[in-house]
Amino acid sequence: MPFVSLSMELLLCILYPLALYRLWLMLPALALHIVLIVSTAMKYGRIPLIGLHDTLGFLAFTIGAVAVVAGWKRNRDLFSYITIPLILLLLAGSIASPAMPGALPPVLKTIWFELHVILSFVSYALFSIGSVFGILSLYYNEERAENNQYRSLLLGYVLFSTAMIFGGIWAYFAWGTYWLWTPKELWTTIVWFFYSLYLHARLVRGWTGPKVVWMGIIGFVIVMFTYAGVGLLMKSSHEF
Amino acid sequence: MRHFFLSLKTAVWTLFVMVCLFFIGSYMMPMHREVFGPMNNNLLFHWVKDVAADNVWQTWWFFAALAGLVLLTLNTIFCSIQAVRGKWSRSDFLLRISPQVIHIGFLFILFAHLLGAGWGYKLSGMMPEGAYAPLPEDLALRLNQIHVQTDARGFMTDWSVEASLYENNHLVKRGTLGPNAPLFWGATGIYLKSLNFDRGPAALLLVAKDPGAIWALVGGVLFTLGSVTLLALKWKKS
Repeated sequence: MPFVSLSMELLLCILYPLALYRLWLMLPALALHIVLIVSTAMKYGRIPLIGLHDTLGFLAFTIGAVAVVAGWKRNRDLFSYITIPLILLLLAGSIASPAMPGALPPVLKTIWFELHVILSFVSYALFSIGSVFGILSLYYNEERAENNQYRSLLLGYVLFSTAMIFGGIWAYFAWGTYWLWTPKELWTTIVWFFYSLYLHARLVRGWTGPKVVWMGIIGFVIVMFTYAGVGLLMKSSHEF
Repeated sequence: MRHFFLSLKTAVWTLFVMVCLFFIGSYMMPMHREVFGPMNNNLLFHWVKDVAADNVWQTWWFFAALAGLVLLTLNTIFCSIQAVRGKWSRSDFLLRISPQVIHIGFLFILFAHLLGAGWGYKLSGMMPEGAYAPLPEDLALRLNQIHVQTDARGFMTDWSVEASLYENNHLVKRGTLGPNAPLFWGATGIYLKSLNFDRGPAALLLVAKDPGAIWALVGGVLFTLGSVTLLALKWKKS
């Protein structure tokens, strides 16, 4: 079975780049990725959302899915030139990281955990696509790209806030508190504060345009550090 | 001064300062574990009084963040009051009210943190099977039995504890605790943290009373409702 999973992951590395030609050509890769996620879920009785191997792969999938929806009508351009390498980088990271086999630890066996993690990763994907639209806006000087960045980040913010609320409910049932003072929680709040800042700054007269677009791009760097950096460098309640 | 609290720029800059302070805090916390380690063990106000106040060189960012939250709260209240004043029309009712619902949700969550930081209690300890322990507010807990499930290789896959809760020596609740499945009595929750078999079967339990939790939930629901409504309206508009 690990050989089958690895073969599917390597095949994904071949299928995703097809989208460099036309974005809708990402559909076979997404379909195979769904098969991989479902087969892993059936094997271990859980959605693969634990550890770097699972989550990097899941993030690559969500970014791909969001990219197809957001860029369906786009011709071959900078959008796919940034998105596809990002997906491939995440996939490579996933393949290089050790998989965590087995069922969920009892503390993670709750719908609140799965909702918290799935919504978090969908929001991360939206933040990443928002930053790609930001780069497009700066590169092509497109007003439409700036608007698309706003739409991606607004939807990402709403999902991220909901993910935080679900995480709080889970933590309350698991640990008796909906908030813990740890670096991971602080960084999660930094992400939330930062995108709140972006949404408010966009309403300030004279701040629209490149200033706010840059904020949307920087936001994704903060998101990536919160996801990967904090887990690797700092001790927190999110070590699974 | 009124303009300062009403200004959107105040919100933006305060959020920016909060980002910087939490960034500093995330590095200070692992560097000074002796100061920040007990932060989650007891009520936050006790930690502030007993630890943080004596270690200001390490905790200054925390006090600055509290000041930032106070400013953000005032700014949110002033801006929301300003926004709901004036003429209302049916056509833009939802667009005007949904950001205010989000703000109210945010304020409820902050209020919940304030309540949880100052009131209630947190206790934890190892209880052997069959033991009886008094709790605050005339409550007492009896740990009746520990159940463990193992797989074919003998690894623990799940565990639970049967417990009884007494109030003034009268049985008021009996139930099973497990991971993610606490036993609640009013605002008091009894949580199963782990098991230990070194000196016979025993369970590490946490008893926590957080009067703010329900308000955090109310705030979370309001925040979600407001943000989903605003999202739908903005999406349609753009």
